[in-house]
Amino acid sequence: MVPEFTGVRALHPFFISLGGAFLIAAFFTDYMYSSNSLMQWANFSAWLITGGLVFALVSAVVLVIEVALGRAGPLRWLDFSLLAAAAVLSIINVLVHTRDAWTSVVPTGMLLSAIVAILLVIIGFRGWTVAAIPIANPGKGS
Amino acid sequence: MSRALRMSSGLLLAVSLAACGDKGGDPMRQYGPNPWLPNPHQYLIPPMRVPKAVGWKVGEAPTVPAGLRIQAMATGLMHPRIVYALPNGDVLVVESNGPGTKPFRPKDYVQGKVKARAGAADKGGNRITLLRDANGDGTPELKSVLIDHLHSPYGIAWVAGTLYVANTDAIVAYPFMPGQTRIGAPGVKLADLPAGPINHHWTKAMVASADGSKLYVGVGSNSNITENGMDAEEGRAAIYEVDRTTGAKRIYASGVRNPTNLAIQPGTGQLFAVANERDEIGPDLVPDYLTSVIDGGFYGWPWSYWGRHVDVRVHPQNPAMVAKAIKPDYGLSSHVAALGLSFSQGETLSPKFSNGAFVGEHGSWDRSPLNGYQVIFVPFVNGKPAGMPIPIVTDFLAADHKTVRGRPVGVALDRTGALIIADDVGNTVWRVSGSPAR
Repeated sequence: MVPEFTGVRALHPFFISLGGAFLIAAFFTDYMYSSNSLMQWANFSAWLITGGLVFALVSAVVLVIEVALGRAGPLRWLDFSLLAAAAVLSIINVLVHTRDAWTSVVPTGMLLSAIVAILLVIIGFRGWTVAAIPIANPGKGS
Repeated sequence: MSRALRMSSGLLLAVSLAACGDKGGDPMRQYGPNPWLPNPHQYLIPPMRVPKAVGWKVGEAPTVPAGLRIQAMATGLMHPRIVYALPNGDVLVVESNGPGTKPFRPKDYVQGKVKARAGAADKGGNRITLLRDANGDGTPELKSVLIDHLHSPYGIAWVAGTLYVANTDAIVAYPFMPGQTRIGAPGVKLADLPAGPINHHWTKAMVASADGSKLYVGVGSNSNITENGMDAEEGRAAIYEVDRTTGAKRIYASGVRNPTNLAIQPGTGQLFAVANERDEIGPDLVPDYLTSVIDGGFYGWPWSYWGRHVDVRVHPQNPAMVAKAIKPDYGLSSHVAALGLSFSQGETLSPKFSNGAFVGEHGSWDRSPLNGYQVIFVPFVNGKPAGMPIPIVTDFLAADHKTVRGRPVGVALDRTGALIIADDVGNTVWRVSGSPAR
């Protein structure tokens, strides 16, 4: 009755968590810039959001492959919607961060970073995944 | 999933529409002492729009008004930026481009690529070429490299047996008498100028005072609007006065975002500057300008523009400095990138151009529709710029605004009073004369 572990794991949660960490960090660096006006913090934010979006793209590709191969199950729509919202807001936010100096962060950029960070904390607590993951494959080969 | 996709594509569409619907108005409203100034706004997608640089085909030339004649004085140059006439009639051409800066943000990579499309990244010659046209027909009999291996040179001035070259990091002095075609002697550094490690606006415009005792040097800001940090702006966005003999320097005027060229008004000895103003708060903000420069004057950058219009992108703000900000004399409309300035010397070209200044407008890279890409004449009345400008050299830009054949930079009058223009994308020096074709 104990399911046999196949060694196959879904990879998309790993990439989602990496991108999520970048985007949550961007809220911190935005906050630092808003408090001390030192531009380098805003530069960090721009890179962190860009990096977060690159990992979002990688996550999406990995997710599509894993669903196609049956390594990830049906989508969990609540998680998927939260993550999609975080990605869309981050696309807008990376554009806001292309502005020069103060208004690249305050107020719009930091507000978007805060919303995205909250969404990602929720997604993180729910396991950094947007699909049901078969961690085991009972019956295969027996 | 499709709902989420629709939502996200809808948002993206709104974003791009917001960027595309942003067209600039008639530039003529922004020439003169009281330019129209709309409210500033912030972009989501940074404004970038450049034509593709294609260069001139053999026989092609910019357009000049009837009665004037234009000819290519030299071609095949390496990014010529400044032209300078020596007393004996020889013309010096400064071939140069910026030393390059390292990107700070993801945006910097994209903007660099876009500007390169319009020819802004082409390698500069880092040299000064001498053109000798002894018979004044506009076709030089001699072309010689006067000085080579310079470090992003821009302004030059010849005073009493010495040629001063403003490299991006220092003024260097060379012993030189007009007539020489080659300088072999190594230069002697007269004074350091603000440069790296960040060197955003790299050009160092220079002009000698009327009595030759001082050199005035334009030092641009180290950013568009302080986005490289306030520390990087120390000693920047200023016009320096440098003692020609000792090299001692002081800030003569400040708050000038990018003083791209300087000239001394004939007769009065008054220093004038053209300056490039800030970007990314709208297609019609902020107008570049031509102004007399007052000793100790503060012209607003970064805290305000056109007098006391506060720029909210600068933090912390500085109301005390905003209160001091001087309004420039004459708006040149927004994003034209005024780079060339030279006063006329009487009726050498036409009676229309007897009293005023020629201004080279390199052309916009972040405005739609494009603006500039021409040389204009700004008439002066009672020693001040007044009235509407007269376009004098045009059609650098193709009629469809998709391609550009050349971009005017520095302007100067030669010994005969002909207008000489450096074209850094066409790699050509143009000469506009009033004389009929021979």
